[in-house]
Amino acid sequence: MKARVLLCFASLAAISFVRADATIEGLVTLPPPQMGRTLSARYQTTVEAPLTPSNPPSAVVYLEGNFTGAEATAKAPAQMSQKNMLFSPDLVAVRVGGVVEFPNLDDTYHNVFSYSKTKRFDLGRFRKGEKPSTIVFDKPGVVTVHCEIHDRMRGIILVLETPYFTKTDTAGRYRLEHLPAGHYDLKAWINEADVRSVPVDLKDGGTVHVDLPRK
Amino acid sequence: MRPNKFILVLALAFVCNARADLFDRVNDALLFRDAKLQLQVQLSGLVDLETYYLDQPPPGLIFTGNQWLFNPRLSIFLDAQWTRHIYLFVQARVDRGFDPSDEGAEARADEYFLRYTPLDNSRINFQIGKFATVVGNWVPRHLSWENPFINAPLLYENLTGIWDEEAPEDVDDLLYWAHVPNEYGYNNGYIDKYYRLPMIWGPSYATGLAVTGTIDRFDYAAEIKNASLSSRPEYWDATERGFEHPTFSGRAGFRPNEMWNFGVSASGGPYLSAEAAESLPLNRSIGDYRELLLGQDIAFAWHHWQFWAEFYEARFQVPRIGNADIFAYYLEAKYKITPQLFAAVRWNQELFGDVRDGTERVQWGNDTSRVDLAVGYRFTNYLQTKVQYSFTHQDPHEEGQHVAGLQITLKF
Repeated sequence: MKARVLLCFASLAAISFVRADATIEGLVTLPPPQMGRTLSARYQTTVEAPLTPSNPPSAVVYLEGNFTGAEATAKAPAQMSQKNMLFSPDLVAVRVGGVVEFPNLDDTYHNVFSYSKTKRFDLGRFRKGEKPSTIVFDKPGVVTVHCEIHDRMRGIILVLETPYFTKTDTAGRYRLEHLPAGHYDLKAWINEADVRSVPVDLKDGGTVHVDLPRK
Repeated sequence: MRPNKFILVLALAFVCNARADLFDRVNDALLFRDAKLQLQVQLSGLVDLETYYLDQPPPGLIFTGNQWLFNPRLSIFLDAQWTRHIYLFVQARVDRGFDPSDEGAEARADEYFLRYTPLDNSRINFQIGKFATVVGNWVPRHLSWENPFINAPLLYENLTGIWDEEAPEDVDDLLYWAHVPNEYGYNNGYIDKYYRLPMIWGPSYATGLAVTGTIDRFDYAAEIKNASLSSRPEYWDATERGFEHPTFSGRAGFRPNEMWNFGVSASGGPYLSAEAAESLPLNRSIGDYRELLLGQDIAFAWHHWQFWAEFYEARFQVPRIGNADIFAYYLEAKYKITPQLFAAVRWNQELFGDVRDGTERVQWGNDTSRVDLAVGYRFTNYLQTKVQYSFTHQDPHEEGQHVAGLQITLKF
């Protein structure tokens, strides 16, 4: 009998966690898009300086709180490819333990590396068509990714402890679904100098609209 | 290096290590774009702090009578892109001389060139100014951040018996200048170091015009410069030497895929300076004596490995003596052991041919071999240190020559 009661309580607790049905949506005011021109190589005969748009601006929106009971959902690896001498996308978010692939889609070598304390790695020189290397990000933090060959290529991998995160669209719109009820901080990561935060109260089945304007 | 300098370097390394993001922002702050994105200007630079422990006399193009040498260098780069058609590059340096020395500080504009790309692709580009030679494959990695070593390959700095300011009277002169032993012993002094020339002097930033381009997997480059590949830095400026006796050089390259890069180079031009005119045979001019050079280069890269090799056959046409030939090569490999730690090894040789001395032939230089070993560590994307050891063996010397070096580079 005692065991049945315990099982019942355990089931209820699990259901209450699984029943994470709150939603937040809103708008993050993003910085304007930038265009850039790759500078010519100083000592090479190949001179390519096309006017290329940078990645469309975006932000990572995530819910910060204690989610230790939340199970890690097995996801396909995220991708940060190298295309037109840029990282595409140049902002990727993964949960701790998440995997990122780095396929090279350009007709030239890239050498992706990071010296960030959160994750140090160097993929070496990879060419188009090679099976992309994957890196597991096992500590939370910000990882700045560069290409050794193309100086101005820069990407960010945001490694989060929370399972509740999403990327905005290029207009800054976001929607986070299946969130557990409770009191949390909602954060928007635009860059290391611009992280916006708003406290939110979530109720089961409710939808909250939160905008994160520029400070 | 004095203790206070060393503490300063350590403090700098600590700050740079702790604030790598700051340097990202500095890098961004030094990029200027106009509103219409027609013009983009990037300022950047390198601060090199290097110190050497040397056997005397110092090898190659190191100029000091001391066993220890501290050689700091500040290099400022300006890259300006106007549309996709015009590119301007300037490299200015403050240091103790173009090559490591114990002289006082001096400031120079080492490179400045304008490149015009008429088409919307890179099939043809025109370049004018003072710029590194198109010959070979060492130039693209000669700056301290890219070079796995502190110094250049042997053939870019080993001094031969060729002087540019005076012609030899006879073979004995040439052999004496080349420090080749004869019945009277041999010259192992330091005093004549300033007169002698290497096969190629560093990246050879001489002044001139170039046409370059890439067509599919083929690269080509041709240049006309005011000074030969062996000429000293003082003659690279157009104000110091005009175009009366130009040097023509070129390179053709083939990249079958991203891993491999093959090239062949050639160069020809007078190597004697105007001061040598008085010492020439009657009715001969400095334009009659050329440095002719043929080169082959290979580069390979795959994952954490990089490999380079250059092979050169050079001929100096020497007054009263004839052709003095050299064959030189090096094999260089770099491997990244961890994301931040790399090791490099380079094997260099310079082998001298014979010249006619009366009825017999004599070798006109001392065959030289050198092994370079280096280990480097990148603390951040902006701070790097390298330690190098080189051992040189030159034929008449029973004992070899040792050089150890340490270089700290801050990139911004």
